[in-house]
Amino acid sequence: MKERQNPKARMDCLAREFGDELLVYDRERNVGHCLNPTAAAAWKLCDGKTSSSELATILTRQFSAPVDEPVVLLALDELSKAQLLVESERPLRRTSRREAIRAIGIVGAIALPLVTSLVAPTPARAASCLHNGQPCVSPVQCCSGTCGATSHRCGA
Amino acid sequence: MKKLDRLGWAEGIGVQSFGVYAGVRVSAAGMLPQILPLLPPGWKNSRRTTVQRLYSLVVPQPNQRAGLRRIHILYADSERIARDTDLDQVLAALERDLHRYVAEASPDMTFLHAGVVGWQGRAILLPGRSLCGKTTLVRELLRLGATYYSDEFAVVDNFGKVHPFTRPLGIREDSTYLQIKYTPETLGASLGGKPLPLGAVAICKYKAGAGGKLRPLSAGQGALELMGNSIAVRTQPQRTLRRIQKLVEGALFVKGTRGEAGEAAASILNLLSTGNSGEKA
Repeated sequence: MKERQNPKARMDCLAREFGDELLVYDRERNVGHCLNPTAAAAWKLCDGKTSSSELATILTRQFSAPVDEPVVLLALDELSKAQLLVESERPLRRTSRREAIRAIGIVGAIALPLVTSLVAPTPARAASCLHNGQPCVSPVQCCSGTCGATSHRCGA
Repeated sequence: MKKLDRLGWAEGIGVQSFGVYAGVRVSAAGMLPQILPLLPPGWKNSRRTTVQRLYSLVVPQPNQRAGLRRIHILYADSERIARDTDLDQVLAALERDLHRYVAEASPDMTFLHAGVVGWQGRAILLPGRSLCGKTTLVRELLRLGATYYSDEFAVVDNFGKVHPFTRPLGIREDSTYLQIKYTPETLGASLGGKPLPLGAVAICKYKAGAGGKLRPLSAGQGALELMGNSIAVRTQPQRTLRRIQKLVEGALFVKGTRGEAGEAAASILNLLSTGNSGEKA
């Protein structure tokens, strides 16, 4: 089985830029992710051809500040956890946040890579739910998640 | 649906709202005046013969045999969505489902679950799920002179402007689940009409006794929060993200817990006036 070391970003996600940050929507899993500038820059460079050490060099140039490999590995780890990379057959090398902080220094010129994720709500969940005592026919309609079988009212 | 169609329908109405076509029919004459106030704000009559969603309200017959429960049943297309002896509860279900459907299916607008007020020519959004205290905060902002836009949906167009959805405010008194409807006029507030650019987004949850502190959020984090309150992001992700991107240009974002609504409302208005997002709530 062929091993793939170079990270590749998933191409089936929707991405929108918000300044240096990136909002990525995973249509398959219905999850939105906010990539901070460091994670966003790393994700954009994941073309499956560039290695993590090459990514570090390119990011150093982009940010005009030293970006060491542990920082890139942390970014790839965050992106991988968020399932924003094409799954490699061999797990990506991992690094700890501590190692990355050590590489950046106490007062780093760049932020540690960070991916924040949020599950997209269904329309019913996004809109107001029914409160106790209101009529229901299904538990999903109720804030309490309980729709009385005989009373047909939430929470009963 | 065919079974439903065979029932006798006394009257009905076709409506268009934010590009969505819906119909409501009832089994007893004289009910439309009770239904019209429940339609989405700004609705228009539609003469289309086909609609995207048809509500059928079956009410008990006046000559129903004594001893039988007088049940009102509401269907959305062929799905039963409410069944109750209390007509008001069933009408409330009709209003809720119709508004949610318009929010979900509108091709023209993106709906975010949020309270909205206007302040100095900009919109303030208060996104959040049910029971997080949105409406209370909207009421306080109105008391401080803000213009009413909505207590339920921020309606965003292609240019990222926020439109009004001025339904009556549903306020829960004394921490109960029961809502009492207030028109903005009875609260002394003026109604927003003009679409506004976004000024600030405050994502705050009420916590009794908490002093509260709102911390600033980046535009990307703020956009993610808005996505998490978007009604149709699963069905229209591309359109939703594009409109959110337009919406948030130049806006301030804060998030955290808040104490009493009056104090939080003043902080939020101050945030927009000063452009400083490190305010206490």
